Amino acid sequence: MNLACAGDPRLSRFDPLERIFFYDDFDEGIRGWSELIGNYEHSLDSMLPEYSDMRPPMLSNLTMWDTGAAGSMEGTYALKLASRARTGSLATSIKRQTFRKRGQIQLECYFTFKPEASELRLSLNDVRAFGLLFDLQDGMNPEFRWMPHLRYLNAQDNEMVNRWQMKGETRAFHNIGDSGETVSHFHLGSENWEFVAAPVQTLAYNEIATKMNWHYLRVNVDLAERRFLGFQCNDLVYAGEPLKHISIPAMPNLNCMLNTAFWVETNRDKRAFLYLDSVLLSGEF
Amino acid sequence: MVALRRSYTAVVERNRLWQGDFASEPYEAAWASEAIFFVRTLADATGVGGVARVQISADGIRWVDEGSSFDLPSSKDEVAFCRVSHFGGWLRIAGTLAPNIQMTVLVSLALKE
Repeated sequence: MNLACAGDPRLSRFDPLERIFFYDDFDEGIRGWSELIGNYEHSLDSMLPEYSDMRPPMLSNLTMWDTGAAGSMEGTYALKLASRARTGSLATSIKRQTFRKRGQIQLECYFTFKPEASELRLSLNDVRAFGLLFDLQDGMNPEFRWMPHLRYLNAQDNEMVNRWQMKGETRAFHNIGDSGETVSHFHLGSENWEFVAAPVQTLAYNEIATKMNWHYLRVNVDLAERRFLGFQCNDLVYAGEPLKHISIPAMPNLNCMLNTAFWVETNRDKRAFLYLDSVLLSGEF
Repeated sequence: MVALRRSYTAVVERNRLWQGDFASEPYEAAWASEAIFFVRTLADATGVGGVARVQISADGIRWVDEGSSFDLPSSKDEVAFCRVSHFGGWLRIAGTLAPNIQMTVLVSLALKE
């Protein structure tokens, strides 16, 4: 066990690398997680429409209509992402940092996801997907901006999928506004997802929409080599070939960027929720 | 030493067209003891006279009027607001605009412990 975690019950459930960059327990507040928004010039109408409504995160005590509040995994509040009640709606929350050394980084979190409990039925395939991504750019004299994406595709239309996916391509860039200074690209569309060579993983849903079980997720990235190394979710460990990631030419004002984002997507005209009890980013730096 | 009170502002609707029945997306705020809804019209509204009612909920699904209401703005960048306290876990605003009224709004919810 990392010495920093010894004797601390809140940290002993994580396996951080040598140094903790941030540890966000949402009992303490929103801790830098904000709504993702697209770029714009002069008017919000200039934004790519896919980015126009990615929903603000909130602090939830996981209150259910039938059983009251469950609280978070360890405490009262979790960070909650909530889509609109419209098929395909995404909620996306981001934390924006920079790095000081191109070493390995590791993100760990405890999460759960559910559809809104607005119907008295199983609702197992009402959440389409959730995922996390890094948005990264090298520091001095950067060559690339690169974006590892990992998505759990729970269901597509009426089919359960229960598999992890990665993404190697984004959509085309668009000029935003008329100054020539602003561009935008949408990287969370339904296209270009590829299955990771990992087995089907059925995450405990627990029978009705008002019961949540918390899950562990770890994701590893090598900033120096620009490699998306692997991940672990509960008892599934992927440590095979590096995963595909989006790679695009470096942009003018993003050096040393280390952004982390989570999202959830609904499969129905019903809200989908992703809850994060706590998030820890560690690394070599 | 006195701890600073935590606070947060959520933009619960942004560049959203309201006509007929409207409701802001549900927002969980059990941690907060006071709130202000700000509604800003991003362009001149078509027609005037809209009213928003504050609503609360036990579960985020079924809503009931809290008792507060306020007149909505109508000209570009005009702002209206409504203070709320003792609201439990969930907040939204809702209402019905007359058939001749349309407005594009930005709704902020300012929360404080």
